[in-house]
Amino acid sequence: MMSFSLWDIVRNLLVGGALTLLLSLAAFVLGGATGLAVLLARIGRRRAPRALARMYIELFQGTPLLLQLFTLFFGLSLFGLDVPAWLAAGLGLTLFTSAFLAEIWRGCVEAVPRGQWEASACLALTYREQMRHVILPQAMRLAVAPTVGFAVQVVKSTAVTSIIGFTELTKTGSMIANATYQPFLVYSLVALGYFVLCYPLSHYAKSLERRLHAAR
Amino acid sequence: MPLVSTRRLHKFFGRNHVLRGIKLDVEESEVIAIVGRSGSGKSTLLRTLNGLENIDDGTIEVDGTVLQVDHDDPGALRALRQKVGMVFQQFNLFPHLSTGQNVTLAPRVVKRTPREEAEDIARRMLERVGLGEKFDAFPDQLSGGQQQRVAIARALAMSPKVLLCDEITSALDPELVNEVLSVVRQLADEGMTLIMVTHEMRFAREVSDRLVFMHEGRIHESGSPQEMFSNPTTPEFASFIGSLN
Ligand SMILES: Nc1ncnc2c1ncn2[C@@H]1O[C@H](COP(=O)(O)OP(=O)(O)OP(=O)(O)O)[C@@H](O)[C@H]1O
Ligand SMILES: [Mg+2]
Repeated sequence: MMSFSLWDIVRNLLVGGALTLLLSLAAFVLGGATGLAVLLARIGRRRAPRALARMYIELFQGTPLLLQLFTLFFGLSLFGLDVPAWLAAGLGLTLFTSAFLAEIWRGCVEAVPRGQWEASACLALTYREQMRHVILPQAMRLAVAPTVGFAVQVVKSTAVTSIIGFTELTKTGSMIANATYQPFLVYSLVALGYFVLCYPLSHYAKSLERRLHAAR
Repeated sequence: MPLVSTRRLHKFFGRNHVLRGIKLDVEESEVIAIVGRSGSGKSTLLRTLNGLENIDDGTIEVDGTVLQVDHDDPGALRALRQKVGMVFQQFNLFPHLSTGQNVTLAPRVVKRTPREEAEDIARRMLERVGLGEKFDAFPDQLSGGQQQRVAIARALAMSPKVLLCDEITSALDPELVNEVLSVVRQLADEGMTLIMVTHEMRFAREVSDRLVFMHEGRIHESGSPQEMFSNPTTPEFASFIGSLN
């Protein structure tokens, strides 16, 4: 049997942690961009894109992330597409993130008072001009704190991708735990890893929220 | 030819028949004060004049631009809104923009006025409402009266043909009402066409050329304010002015 020093364990976990971080970042950035498109369709004036965006959001919000990943991973292979675990993980989390961010941001757009729409309409701005110059800038301010807060959820959600075999932090942890017979130590370190990634984010989200409240 | 002209204007909110055939002609430089009880349709009438509310029947014409019932011509709506400015009870300044940016936004975006020229206009409009030195302030740094004056400057910067004012002093502390009223009075003196809904009867009486009393979605009585106040011809208007004191 191979023997593992503590450093060996930590070193392997750091690699897994780096992948978790990378996956979170990719999901957040790509999901944010997709989410913006979904948002614009969802709040736009055209009926068909609005209905589609709504279905999209409800689909991803109404099913467990795990099943979304399974469907992607196994579903695509049914079509003869051999999807590597990292791709399925990245794609799945991106879609999941985009749906949630679109919905969070929609709430922020709707929180902009009606008077802002009316005042800008009276000045002869078109819908696009209203959005761009009046509504979205205000919605974005409202969105900062909940968006950062959701980033914490994204980081924690990446753990689910271990089940389809992506060797991020959790998967790495379970492999090491099996090899070392020290599950308590290893999983404690894994949990610590998530905490180190999430704590600054949630702390930041809280301080943003306080600051925005104070500004009101 | 009148500047603003409406014919058999009808508006429903669901089953609520809010405007019941409004015929209103407003000449250039005329100052109209609309009064009436709560719910009589004053705000709704004002809001139909720039297409904030659509109408169910009738026509609206402002300076040659005709607004159809279903607003199916976005070009006409945009053209009309450039001729009709509006000031609200709640100011509705854009809180993320400075005073100067509030005033320059529409000229720059809608009329494509170059920045320097737009800023020139904005400074002049802010001077006009007595706030020349507030160009870089943000709305939350201003008093209610100042914010409302910025809102007036913002509307004026589009050089509207007519300005609609919906109870623009009702949200203000009493000591701030006069600074806003005196700006309105000055606009009236300069020949601006004004249509205002107001509860300030004394002001309406002093400043307006014509008083319009609305009752249950109709123009129930209208005429010169002096005459109407001394000789109300309908019992409804008589009881309305009676209830004021
Ligand atoms: N957006 C709306 N949806 C449904 N009903 C409305 C809406 N706006 C106004 N109403 C109704 O239309 C009627 C006229 O309202 P309006 O606001 O024009 O009255 P007003 O004369 O301005 O009253 P006030 O002096 O209280 O401002 C009222 O019965 C009101 O409840
Ligand atoms: Mg009203």
